[in-house]
Amino acid sequence: MSISEKPEGEEPLQWCPKCGALINRSEALSPEPAPGTPRCDACGQPLAQAPLDSGNFPTNAQNTAPRGSGRNPLALVVVAVVAALMLYFGFHMARRSDSNPGMSITKSGIAPDFTLETLDGKSMSLSELRGKAVLLNFWATWCGPCKIETPWLVELQKEYGAQGLQVIGVAMDDSGKDDIARFAQEMGVNYPVLLGKEAVGEEYGGVPALPESFFIGRDGKIVDRIIGLKGRGDIEEAIRKALNTQPGSTQAGSVPAAVQAQE
Amino acid sequence: MNSPRPNLKAMWVLGLLAASAVAQSGKAPSVSMAPVPLTKVQRAAQTKVTLNFRVASGFHINSNTPHSEFLIPTTLKIDPPTDIVLGKTQYPEGKDLSFPFSPDEKLSVYSGDFTIDVSVHPLHAVVPGKYGLHGTLRYQACDNAQCFPPKTLPVNFEVKVVKEPPGPHKNPAQSPHVH
Repeated sequence: MSISEKPEGEEPLQWCPKCGALINRSEALSPEPAPGTPRCDACGQPLAQAPLDSGNFPTNAQNTAPRGSGRNPLALVVVAVVAALMLYFGFHMARRSDSNPGMSITKSGIAPDFTLETLDGKSMSLSELRGKAVLLNFWATWCGPCKIETPWLVELQKEYGAQGLQVIGVAMDDSGKDDIARFAQEMGVNYPVLLGKEAVGEEYGGVPALPESFFIGRDGKIVDRIIGLKGRGDIEEAIRKALNTQPGSTQAGSVPAAVQAQE
Repeated sequence: MNSPRPNLKAMWVLGLLAASAVAQSGKAPSVSMAPVPLTKVQRAAQTKVTLNFRVASGFHINSNTPHSEFLIPTTLKIDPPTDIVLGKTQYPEGKDLSFPFSPDEKLSVYSGDFTIDVSVHPLHAVVPGKYGLHGTLRYQACDNAQCFPPKTLPVNFEVKVVKEPPGPHKNPAQSPHVH
């Protein structure tokens, strides 16, 4: 911001070219200035005699630095480091949200096992589904996009169930089992719905937003992951990828950090 | 004159960077509340206090009256001090919105800036002075592809209770009582 844009009431300020201290020029150019060129209060270096309406004036942000004391280099370093860290972690987390970061869940790529309660009160473990392709869908009754996606999952279960697909819904709801069951019934859900636990979500990367789906191959490895609502075609493509895997020696449940519903 | 002042602009920039980092991280988006100027509320009367909220760009939250029973409505809950009664909370109308994949299904949402009005009614027994009102705004936010777990935002504001103005003089001139 140049001085011509300066809001009323702001004092003319200038940076010392030597030490970086911020000088109030109205004081430096006081009615009785020291002989010669005005000097910096902090280091005594002469100040440039730029006209007050030149474009060299500090920006509005610069004006907020403490007057007369100069910039505190330590504070600037801290600000820069904090800003850099925030940007780094922000972009790092954003990259994690890409469509295929499933391998970051475990180093081996194996889907962490868990045992959760079904809507009818039984227990179900992921490891029971060995040899099948699993679409593990984290959802909630309060999630609008999940409501849009659920009919697609119902159709896909019908279409690919015979080929070995098993859709599993994990409800990350605080609402009671009855509400979840009613929602599932209204949506015509034809696959098991489990009552989710935060610990299971943590094993799958935290599941910070819903819906989030993991596509697990017959070998128990995560082959794809979709965060948020995408097209039915994207889901179907990931299902095919999971179905095209071969049962291997690895299987869900073999990771040590298995999550048990009893935790 | 030489006393150091906090670098407000730098703090603001840092705040923006933090918000940006949070938004990029995919964590729950924020709803913020603007500071509420101190409002004078008269004893034994109702005074409206307007609370201004802002939903982060690109997100929406359900209105107080979402179209589906499964959706979580935005609700303000305030615990007033003793002898200060809260009247009806006035929520704004929600705006209709639909997700790209389901244009026929309308949601009722708040996005951008919205206000909630609270009626504050100090009873006659309240001693004049400043009182803090504390509560929470519960909301559940989504963008156009995903939804975030419900969150609560602390809501705090102060009111200054003042005496009611003296009522009209109701004692016409009378002859003095004789005791």
